[in-house]
Amino acid sequence: MSLILALTQQMCLYLVIVYLTSKTPLFKLFTENSTRLPHKIFIYLVFSAFCIMATYFGEQAHGAIANTRAMGAVLGGLLGGPATGFLVGLTGGLHRYTLGGFTDVACAVSTTMEGLSAGMINLYLRRHGKSELVFNPMVVGLVTFYAEMMQMCIILMIANPFEEALELVRQIAPPMLIVNSLGAASFMSMVRDQKTMFDKMSSTFSTKALKIAERSVGLLSKGFNEASSTQVAQIVIEETNVGAVAITDREKLMAFIGIGADHHLPGTPISSQITMDAIHQNKVMFADGVEFPYSCSISPNCKLGSSLVIPLRSDNEVIGTIKLYEPKNKLFLNINRTLGEGIARLLSNQILYGRFEQQQNLLTQAELKLLQAQVNPHFLFNALNTISAIIRRNPDKARQLLQQLSQFLRINLKRTTGMVSLGDELEHIESYLTIEKARFIDKLKVSIDIPQELYAVQVPAFTLQPIIENAVKHGTSHMMETGIITVKAIQQDNDLILEVTDNAGLYQPRSDSDGLGMNLVHKRIQNLYGDEYGVTVEYEPEVFTKVNIHLPNKV
Amino acid sequence: MISCLIVDDEPYARQELADLLLQAGDLQIVGQCSNALEAMQAISKHKPDLLFLDIQMPRISGMELIAMLDPETMPRVVFVTAYDEFAVRAFDNHAFDYLLKPLDEKRLRQTLEKVRKDLRPKSLDVLMPQYLEHLPCFSANRLKIIAVKDVEYVFSDLSGIHVATAKEKVHTELTLKVLEEKTPLLRCHRQYLVAPSAIAEIEILETGAEVTTHSGAKVPVSRRFLKPLKQAFGFQ
Repeated sequence: MSLILALTQQMCLYLVIVYLTSKTPLFKLFTENSTRLPHKIFIYLVFSAFCIMATYFGEQAHGAIANTRAMGAVLGGLLGGPATGFLVGLTGGLHRYTLGGFTDVACAVSTTMEGLSAGMINLYLRRHGKSELVFNPMVVGLVTFYAEMMQMCIILMIANPFEEALELVRQIAPPMLIVNSLGAASFMSMVRDQKTMFDKMSSTFSTKALKIAERSVGLLSKGFNEASSTQVAQIVIEETNVGAVAITDREKLMAFIGIGADHHLPGTPISSQITMDAIHQNKVMFADGVEFPYSCSISPNCKLGSSLVIPLRSDNEVIGTIKLYEPKNKLFLNINRTLGEGIARLLSNQILYGRFEQQQNLLTQAELKLLQAQVNPHFLFNALNTISAIIRRNPDKARQLLQQLSQFLRINLKRTTGMVSLGDELEHIESYLTIEKARFIDKLKVSIDIPQELYAVQVPAFTLQPIIENAVKHGTSHMMETGIITVKAIQQDNDLILEVTDNAGLYQPRSDSDGLGMNLVHKRIQNLYGDEYGVTVEYEPEVFTKVNIHLPNKV
Repeated sequence: MISCLIVDDEPYARQELADLLLQAGDLQIVGQCSNALEAMQAISKHKPDLLFLDIQMPRISGMELIAMLDPETMPRVVFVTAYDEFAVRAFDNHAFDYLLKPLDEKRLRQTLEKVRKDLRPKSLDVLMPQYLEHLPCFSANRLKIIAVKDVEYVFSDLSGIHVATAKEKVHTELTLKVLEEKTPLLRCHRQYLVAPSAIAEIEILETGAEVTTHSGAKVPVSRRFLKPLKQAFGFQ
């Protein structure tokens, strides 16, 4: 009985050591099921030491040593494989042999056999794709138990004289069997727990990072401002559970959510030195509140006690910071530190993308402005010529046409690139068509079939007019026969489809500037509403060209 | 009296010009046309002294039109344009006559004075496209624009000039001479032009040769034109 206690005591000592090591990064090596050589050497060294120490700490009993050496050999074999197990066993066994006693040979042989057989089991499990079982304490306990049984048998077979050996086994078998099995199982259970913790931690980490990425996607690309920053800060604080989150640009606070929001007011200039340092040095700054004290620069009553400041970069230039805070009574978790840097990278990319997109948009807008300001000179001078001819015969009609032309020009010159109602766009088209019809008299017929109830629908300005102008300029004006243009609006679920069809069928797909008007309309619609919208063309040469403008139906 | 023809696709534009020309007194308007095809017919019919020609017209521009005219019936040309930077620059460089829309009466008077002094047509070679890309044709009173690359051969008979593609035969106002000069078609017979790209085989006969086109049509080759035709393909 006293032997059991003594051995248990010894085992406990080990377990305490193991527990302590489990807090170091070194321990991670146990949790890996790897076959790489450095890993195996590590296993060999650790468990050989285990065996040797177990022998030293063993209890003298009947000229032999009751010990926990089996634990080392079995664990070495299970974690390291046959070769490592064999070597661990051999090392432990040889060491035991040097200490002498009547069981020296038996112990040396049995320890080697224990290591080797545990290694064989590892190999067997790996071959059968069940290597996870190595980490099962139950399995480990059983394996150790059998290994010890084997050892006892070997002692009985080899040690001389047999009577003494039998007496010895009777004495030490129960304690060694129990303690070694329990010890090995406990060890593995600790390894397993540590392993699950690592796995769980990294999976929480990735889940958090992914969740933040998913929730914040597109927010900042719409623009880096107080509204979008506040949304992002809200997401970050919800996912990380830190005390507070702040986002700044280079000068002022854009958003602040969490503890201390009463005195950290968005819109106020940056006051803390570490934020300024982060911006100017383009460096992550961390005030953990212990080694590097943090104190709120605004209020002495502020509860925040530590702060991480990460610069947001766009093209290597710092455009702001994101800050994570913890209150004085809470530690700043390492995981949040890493996560914070990840979030900053994510946000930086989004801002960069947003800027890029914005520039693209601006470009389209500028091109569009140019396009609308550029009243087709051919149209303009021909219109003037027509009016000048009509003055002679029908001054009233000429005056009307001049009115229409002025209206057309006025809208073209002043209209923004924003949204207009379909009704307004049609009015603009009407002035344009009145003049074109006057130019071509009976050679141009236009029918517009748009239900009155769709007149209120909002469309981007200059969506329909350039397409109709194209239909005349590149279509019907090249016909020897009468040109017919039909304009239709179709409501389809939540979408609006505008159709412009001409009977010229002279459309030629090309990418050069000739299709500029249509391209711009297309690009702008896609920019505004996404890829599922835009302009498509169907045509049959010499028969028809049909341009479809696909828009969301927005009133 | 100076006979003149107005070509413009816009009715009011023609009317305006006609009104102004009639005021001059010594001009007779023999016709008004709204496209290049009508213009070609009217020119060969009336042989006007003076042509007022709009540049931007359906399918066949004013510039293409003058390339299609037989130099012998080419009248003196006054271009009319609403806006065409490149053409105007070319007109200025070569002192060709042109009018801008809306028409300016003073400018028109100056132009007419210049024309009255010398009615001889000027060479417009610098303005014309060197090669035609499409040919205005008729098929049973329907207007057709045939791409030159689709033409297999062209021939003349008593009823006029015919353009043959793999699919059809249509009538054209263009002369063989213009077609020979302004297209890749080769003369193979007094009455025939053939597109080298359409030739599938040339069979040598006693009287000359016979070309079979890709679509299977037969085109006669006279002895006189056989040699240049063979040379075009690299035979001696």
